[in-house]
Amino acid sequence: MILLFIVFCPLLAAMLILAGAPARKTALWASGLTLLATIVAFVELEGDGFSFVTSLPISAEWRLNFTLGLDGLSLVMVLLTAIVTLAAVWFTGKISRHEHAFYACLLLIAAGAMGAFASLDLFFFYAFHELALIPTFLLIGIWGSGNRSAAAWKITIYLATGSFILLLGLIMLYRSVPEAARSFDLRLLQNAADTGQIPADAQRHIYLLLLLGFGILISLFPFHTWAPQAYASAPAPAAMLHAGVLKKFGLYGLLRIALPMLPEGTRHWAWLLIILLLGNIIYVGLVTIAQKRLDWMLGYSSVMHMGYIFLGIASGNILGTNGAAILIFAHGLSIALLFAIAGEVRERTGSLLLQDLGGLAKVMPMAGLAFGLGAFASIGLPGFANFSAEVMVFFGAFHNGADMKGFHIYQVATLLALWGVVISAVYMLRAYRATFMGSMPEQWATLSDLRARLRLPIGMLIAALLWIGFFPQTFVRVLTPAFRTYFSVK
Amino acid sequence: MSSLLPWSVLLLPLISAAGIVLITRRWPAISAFVSVGSAVIGFACSCAIFVSPPAATAEFTWIDLRPLLYVPLGLILDDLSKMMLLLVTGVGALIHIYSLGYMRDDAGKSRYFASLSLFMFSMLGIVLANNFVMMFIFWELVGLSSYLLIGHWFERDSAAEAAKKAFLTNRIGDFGFMLGILMIWASTGSVLFQEVASQMGRITAHPGYLSVAALLIFCGAVGKSAQFPLHVWLPDAMEGPTPISALIHAATMVAAGVYMLVRVAFLVQASPQALTVIAWIGTITAVMAGLIATQQNDIKRILAYSTLSQLGYMVMAVGLASGEAAMFHLFTHAFFKALLFLGAGAIIVMLHHEQNIWKMGGLARKLRVTFFTFLIGTLALIGCPPFSGFFSKDAILALAFEKNTAIFALALFTAFLTAFYMLRLVLVVFFGKPRSENAEHGKEAPFVMTGPLLVLAVPAFLAGFGFFARTFLHVPHAEGAGHLVPILATGAMLVGVALAVLLYRKRESDPIDFAIFRRRFYLDEFYAWLIGITQELLAKIAAFFDRWIIDAGGVGGASGATWGVGSLLRFLQVGNLQAYAFLFGLGIVGLIYFTVFG
Amino acid sequence: MANLGDYLLVSGLLFTIGFAGVMLRRNIIIIFMSLELMLNAANLSLVAFSRYRVGTDGFPNYNAQVFVFFIITVAAAEVAVGLAIIVALYRARQTTHVEDISSLKF
Repeated sequence: MILLFIVFCPLLAAMLILAGAPARKTALWASGLTLLATIVAFVELEGDGFSFVTSLPISAEWRLNFTLGLDGLSLVMVLLTAIVTLAAVWFTGKISRHEHAFYACLLLIAAGAMGAFASLDLFFFYAFHELALIPTFLLIGIWGSGNRSAAAWKITIYLATGSFILLLGLIMLYRSVPEAARSFDLRLLQNAADTGQIPADAQRHIYLLLLLGFGILISLFPFHTWAPQAYASAPAPAAMLHAGVLKKFGLYGLLRIALPMLPEGTRHWAWLLIILLLGNIIYVGLVTIAQKRLDWMLGYSSVMHMGYIFLGIASGNILGTNGAAILIFAHGLSIALLFAIAGEVRERTGSLLLQDLGGLAKVMPMAGLAFGLGAFASIGLPGFANFSAEVMVFFGAFHNGADMKGFHIYQVATLLALWGVVISAVYMLRAYRATFMGSMPEQWATLSDLRARLRLPIGMLIAALLWIGFFPQTFVRVLTPAFRTYFSVK
Repeated sequence: MSSLLPWSVLLLPLISAAGIVLITRRWPAISAFVSVGSAVIGFACSCAIFVSPPAATAEFTWIDLRPLLYVPLGLILDDLSKMMLLLVTGVGALIHIYSLGYMRDDAGKSRYFASLSLFMFSMLGIVLANNFVMMFIFWELVGLSSYLLIGHWFERDSAAEAAKKAFLTNRIGDFGFMLGILMIWASTGSVLFQEVASQMGRITAHPGYLSVAALLIFCGAVGKSAQFPLHVWLPDAMEGPTPISALIHAATMVAAGVYMLVRVAFLVQASPQALTVIAWIGTITAVMAGLIATQQNDIKRILAYSTLSQLGYMVMAVGLASGEAAMFHLFTHAFFKALLFLGAGAIIVMLHHEQNIWKMGGLARKLRVTFFTFLIGTLALIGCPPFSGFFSKDAILALAFEKNTAIFALALFTAFLTAFYMLRLVLVVFFGKPRSENAEHGKEAPFVMTGPLLVLAVPAFLAGFGFFARTFLHVPHAEGAGHLVPILATGAMLVGVALAVLLYRKRESDPIDFAIFRRRFYLDEFYAWLIGITQELLAKIAAFFDRWIIDAGGVGGASGATWGVGSLLRFLQVGNLQAYAFLFGLGIVGLIYFTVFG
Repeated sequence: MANLGDYLLVSGLLFTIGFAGVMLRRNIIIIFMSLELMLNAANLSLVAFSRYRVGTDGFPNYNAQVFVFFIITVAAAEVAVGLAIIVALYRARQTTHVEDISSLKF
């Protein structure tokens, strides 16, 4: 029951808003209630297997049911969505035109993400994600800034291509299981995979398609160029939701479907994943350093951090995947905070060109503090969730094949990924220094700080980051049962 | 109850920092009171722990993924950490009190004290951590606190740049540190110091691996303790308020590197190659910094380079396989260096923020207490018997004499340099005639600032004596060393003093000019150039490649190709009904052909 | 006596004439008539096959003749709808020239 509420509350609210309900109030209430429900679900979560399973049969012949369920992994994702949605709605400023449509789009994206994460059925998993694509297009195209229509088209077509490749992979997956065991239900598919019913050859092909499809959605190198442009042109709440939540759909898919069900495929394509993720970390990291605008820098930095999550996924052990899952959560929150503050700055200064800004912390102390906390969180400062997760990722990846005779592929990959920590500190601190520290150009002397009410969403985001930063075991405790089953099978 | 005492020492500053940020931000006086209070209570608790240590302390789980990784949050209370605890909280408390005076009129007072409390929390965490990962956590937090404090006056471009430089340089060190931790964990399966120490047998069978791991861990110390080549952040860190320079960049944070090396001595001393590298890096740092200091004109910079040089001594001692000698010097250095910095701070403030020594002069008569305590600190620093510095430096020199003559010679040369540049400083600042308006009108600092100076002068004088050394630091009593080393050391010191007096007595400006020392061996310029041709160039190339080849070429190409094919295919739409019918017919024929004959 | 080949020849000629008409005439009504001619040519060949192919039991295969009825019916329906479209087209464009109707040209 609670899951139906969590998934359909944003959907219902979106429809109510479109029908004429007061936009901001409804949106705030809906996201607030959803967050509350998610926290209740977190407390009530059962240790093993899936909790709160609700199932509505759709088609017996195709073995298609509308099934929702949560385990540790999906709970973390749902929690992330709930928090970022509330923050995104709260951070929405004055919308000059079509205010109702704006809030409705935000809530539809949230509903799509929630549904996708909570779905136990392959069909609805895909369908809910597609639900979220069109509102993204509208948000960027109508309420964006800069070259918004080009950015909107680019992201939509690019991601649709990725979704298409993904669909091919999922269909192949469905059909690769022998007739008798075939089902859209993830649990049954997992059973079939565990008992070795998916042939090794098929696994390799399917995994490649899934990697490509999900990869495009996650901005895996070299399919990442849609991200910076889209995030720079998007209105801040849309950027928060997309970079914070929607991008993570692909990672969730890899962790839920590709990794557990296609072990042979994972093993076979591990080298490719490692090369591409290093491209994300080192290459995109360097590109980020060269950026001269704050929004482009944040967009590229979000692409770069995907590399760490990929490293956790590639590590092939429970330590790395735990780290990956927690890093998804951490990164989503920190990037949401950063985009939110950047959006506020852009509203006031009209430009995010780093050389035009400077010393803003003097006139906008709250923004300076919030951005500083977000910046340090994202570069992996201990105390924040990102560091706890990165520790697990690095340890997990380094562990793979480690012996004392020298460095092998995973150790080299970890080494290069660690250097990424230095790279991210370089660009983030440079940007922070250029924006908030140093001497302030005359024209910004009269800027106003963030409105006082925004202290609440900022506090919420920071509190969540600090909570997992100080007590990562909270998440490790719920994630381990979810991962342990398929790691023990291997 | 007593097992919670160490935890309260650690957590009290954190609570203070959080309280200031969340609650008392708008009342700076209260924030200051909270912070100073927490520091003083912390010191009191440390004394209690020192006198009657608790049997065991509570341990909390941070990450538990056994059998792969287990990271607890636990405290270690052996002689080393108890000593360090006293040092950090003691000097910290004094500097908190000093800051009350120094930062009285500062606009960001709440922010300052919050950062200061955060620093205390982080530093105490390093001291008390019982495993590598926990130490790393606090290691980075210390880096953050340093960033916040160096950049306290963030509206100044120079301060903002210095803070950034400090954090980034430390990050590079942390990169090596983390890699080293990974290697240790991969081979022993644990991150806890005690467990790794007992598993050392596993790694010593692979000396190459061990050396690399040890050197990588040393990387962290190179960054934090500002050794060559990652020393460039420390002089710039003088942009921060002087109490910070005293606390962080003299007594505690930079000492963390040395402390860490001593904590993992079981690892470092198992690899002779690592020890050699460490010793030489320490020596190079000591000499280089000493040479640079002789030509600096900013009082804080001179002290900063002096700190670098003394840290070099400590690292040298670690490399000569004696953690005890290193800790001894760390201990005495903390007192007299803090004293010197606080004294410099008093001078700077009373001269309205003048920092150039050539604009001072004749202050001995005007700032008597400051002069007196500064002199004590100087005598301790240059190793004049019977001050504390003499004993600790002597311990290191004796070690070097025994183990490596080349290093000994260089260490002796550095002792000469130390005496030279410090006396240069004292002569130019305190003697002669006042060289500027500010110097003319200087008067003594208020008691809240001179008080700590007097308190610090006592250990600066006494801390070296055998009683302290042997009881607390287990420095072996070198019977057989004879008197050669102390005589040589004192001789070098006297030569330095004499040369300084000769050159700098009654001068208006600097008579010698070595550009290479004044320009710090051009290392800052070299690094800027190096970063320019590697990181910046690569970044530009990558950005270009991304924008024009992947995006415009790849993605733009794909969409352009689609457009192109579409614009070609549209010519099939001739608009002529009969042409369509004809094509239709052709298609049918083809279909029939392929179904029947295909 | 005419045999099967003759009938098929005639049918083929009719079909070709019809096809040529569809391809080459400009008046849309004439095209339509040629189209009918093609259909009837197919009818003729079907009936011829039915008449001249006698099965093993001595009777001709009547399936083809039944098929002819279907074709006639469908042709009638098609003519009805087609002529209605042509009339509407004439009312819109005032022309029966097929070359003048090319709005969907590139």
